[in-house]
Amino acid sequence: MKSLRFWLPTKLNTPMPPLALLDMGYIAVLLPLLVTLKAPMILFSVMVLAILFFKRSPAQNMLVLFVFIMGILGIYLSLYGAFSFRGLSRLKLFLELLVYILLVVVAMQRLTQKINMYLLISPFLFLALSLFFYHSIAMLSYIIFEIFFLLWMILAHRMEGKLVDSFRASMVMFMYSLPWVVVLFIFFPRISFEHASYGFKGETIQRMGHDGTMFLDGNALLVPSDRIVMEVGFEGRIPPASALYFRGSILYYDKKDHWEALLYPERKNKAYYPTQGEKVHYKVTLYPTQKKWLYLLDMPSRQVIDSTLDRDLISTVKKNIDEPIHYAGSSSLSPYYEDTLDKITRKASSYYSQSQNPKTYIQAQKIKHSYDTQSQRASAVNKFFKTQVLTYTLTPDALDTNHTSDSFLFDKRRGYCVHFASSFVTMARMTGIPARIVTGYKSDRSESLNNYLSIKEKDAHAWAELYIDNRWVRYETTATASSIEGETQESLSQKSTHPLMKKINLYLMYIKYNIETWILYYSHIRQLQLLDYAKNNPQFVAGFVVSLIAIILLSFTIVAYFRRPSYSSEALAILQPLLKQLKKHGYTRKESESMHQFLLRYHSQNPNHPHIKEIDTLYESILYQANNSKQKHLLLKKRVKKALN
Amino acid sequence: MLFGLFMEAYMHDFNLVYITLFFVFSLAFSAGPLGVLNLGHLKSTFVSSSRLFAHEEGLITLSIKNVSPTTSWSITLYGEEDSIHLPSLKGESNTLTHLRYLPKKRGSFSYQNCYLESRYPLSTARLTLAIKEVYEGIIYPEPRGKTLEAFLNEEETHYGEEKEFDGLSAYDGSQKLTHIHWPSVAKGELSVKTFIKETQTPNLVFDFYKAGKQNEARLSQLCLWVLACEKKHLPFAIKMPKSYLSTQKESIDEILTILATY
Repeated sequence: MKSLRFWLPTKLNTPMPPLALLDMGYIAVLLPLLVTLKAPMILFSVMVLAILFFKRSPAQNMLVLFVFIMGILGIYLSLYGAFSFRGLSRLKLFLELLVYILLVVVAMQRLTQKINMYLLISPFLFLALSLFFYHSIAMLSYIIFEIFFLLWMILAHRMEGKLVDSFRASMVMFMYSLPWVVVLFIFFPRISFEHASYGFKGETIQRMGHDGTMFLDGNALLVPSDRIVMEVGFEGRIPPASALYFRGSILYYDKKDHWEALLYPERKNKAYYPTQGEKVHYKVTLYPTQKKWLYLLDMPSRQVIDSTLDRDLISTVKKNIDEPIHYAGSSSLSPYYEDTLDKITRKASSYYSQSQNPKTYIQAQKIKHSYDTQSQRASAVNKFFKTQVLTYTLTPDALDTNHTSDSFLFDKRRGYCVHFASSFVTMARMTGIPARIVTGYKSDRSESLNNYLSIKEKDAHAWAELYIDNRWVRYETTATASSIEGETQESLSQKSTHPLMKKINLYLMYIKYNIETWILYYSHIRQLQLLDYAKNNPQFVAGFVVSLIAIILLSFTIVAYFRRPSYSSEALAILQPLLKQLKKHGYTRKESESMHQFLLRYHSQNPNHPHIKEIDTLYESILYQANNSKQKHLLLKKRVKKALN
Repeated sequence: MLFGLFMEAYMHDFNLVYITLFFVFSLAFSAGPLGVLNLGHLKSTFVSSSRLFAHEEGLITLSIKNVSPTTSWSITLYGEEDSIHLPSLKGESNTLTHLRYLPKKRGSFSYQNCYLESRYPLSTARLTLAIKEVYEGIIYPEPRGKTLEAFLNEEETHYGEEKEFDGLSAYDGSQKLTHIHWPSVAKGELSVKTFIKETQTPNLVFDFYKAGKQNEARLSQLCLWVLACEKKHLPFAIKMPKSYLSTQKESIDEILTILATY
């Protein structure tokens, strides 16, 4: 219990020793990093905490050496396997190593109970390191708390360890800074957009849907990342989820383990644009993809300025997109569009290898011979997929890359969009229908509110287009899945049964969306957008200024509250306005004078001033009589008010 | 640290880092006005200090008043040679502080260039408040030389006879050899016997010229005797080259001031 008392003062404003303040700071900054620690390092941390808890005297050299050895052992066991020179090139592993080393060094220094500069700086290093690991709303909230908490501890150290006084002071300082942070955050010139990695290699992730190649093997690692790829603002309402297909690239060539696009310059010649279906107009902010595709809603009906729209309705720019771009798009919401196949396209979209997927071929031939029209055959393929009891999963087993369709349809039967789309296209081709794969993004509107829609990396998708009756028709191939794996469903679905819960969820999403859009993903481009918008909208500027003033007023109200003087009694606090007024009239209480003497002195010189005598009696009775009721305080308040008037 | 944070934000464009960075900047800058509020309400005045003697460490006293109703924190008072840290100064209160001072020479002196420094709330805001008031004071001569007892022993016949044994005191070389207390010598302690004089002569007179060979030594000797007389409440007079000082006419402080400014 003695050890516990070191950290927990018996009275709130009891001075805390500097080491205890430092420990509290460390606890605050280490909490988010604890999640990233591996078991051996957690054990090491627990061991150090236990030593600190039970050993009150400074540690001897032998104990420090023991902790050092245990720390090194902890680091070794934590990074065993992952640790290599190659592994060090991965940013997160490198940062993890830094955290471990810092943890061991801090533990050794803390055991000596000597506060030196390194021990004082390390909480800030931990804070900075934790910023590498998280980028979420939770971390945003925690960072703000951390900054406040560290400020509190610093001020507590400066204010003789008094927690209550230092809390008030830190609230004052924090609220005083808040408007500045808001202004700086919005207007501070941003220098770069790209998330660099200090020359470290990435995590070797293959992202799909927007890189022009679709892998089916182990490279097809699906990363359900929450990184926003693009934001779309519709001029009207957001179209239904079933129409939210954003076209990226079109893939024709089956290269066994991956599919490739058709490189053919003539495809630029587009005869006409789709006109069927509901017209929608929207603005897109596309974040850097390092690729040339612009994503447009199926089916694009107008070319984007400074881009090319080819006959496959694929929109591209000349250079890779390495900074955020904005474009206005127009589309006709339709699952098909008319086209005339040229020779090359027909050949490319009809090619298949019989030997590559013999089982699929046999089934396709059965369909081909059973149905005459392409439409019937496409329906039969769709039906066949459904009878194969395929499971949609984000963690499929590896397919046989020499026989991908056979492996998927007849053996593994587990996969996600790429496996469904590639097998579907292969089988459709085998039945005599020209077919191709479209990659892009498919939104389910879960990340939308009002007219805003955000598309994230996890929305990357692949689907099929079949050429039926002179039209390219979209087929959602994953719809043929008989089931969705539990874990996958969990990560995909956002079901809340109760309507109230749905509503709350929607509002939370809206807040989340706004925080993410305007805080977490606020960028150079957003800044420019905001300034541009402000230039043309004086009302917005007025609203912004009013909001800023409101924030400043709120901050200063809180500052005034926490800066209010603390008096020894409530009665004395009630008297303050009266004392101020008397001071204005030249009557100040002398140091040696009691309140009673002071009020009597004033009364003797101003006998006509009402209520002074009564106030004096009331004040004395509150201070010295046992019956110290609330009513008396209220009465004193009333009398003071009257005296002021 | 700030540079590291900035680089982190620059390289990654992480808004969390930007927010952290902006908080650090804003807190650092907000420390300025809060520091002014912390320091600006303090009023400092010199209070009459205790006697200061040349080559002896003394104290300069200042009264620091916090006229604000809120507490001022972490204030340091800087003097010419010393500084004092004041952890807190409660609102509407007065605090007396003492700065150590070692005068180099006797005479009148000015103590100035004092200031209050605040590093509250953060070290980024180092604020100072100059104390414009100048303390004018007197440095008395360093009290040094023969003790008053030694002087009285030498002048025994003039100032009375030793009759009654009063006790033992440490031998400092100035006492008579006949007064050495031999039993204590046998024990290893060199003590001398002291006696109360039967009659106290009211006319205790110190002569400036007989007090030493040089003026500074004379002034120091006289200062020592004056202080000893004051302690024992003995009236005395000093024959100065051009004046005659007497406790019947001048106060002790006046006599000491004359000695200081000689």
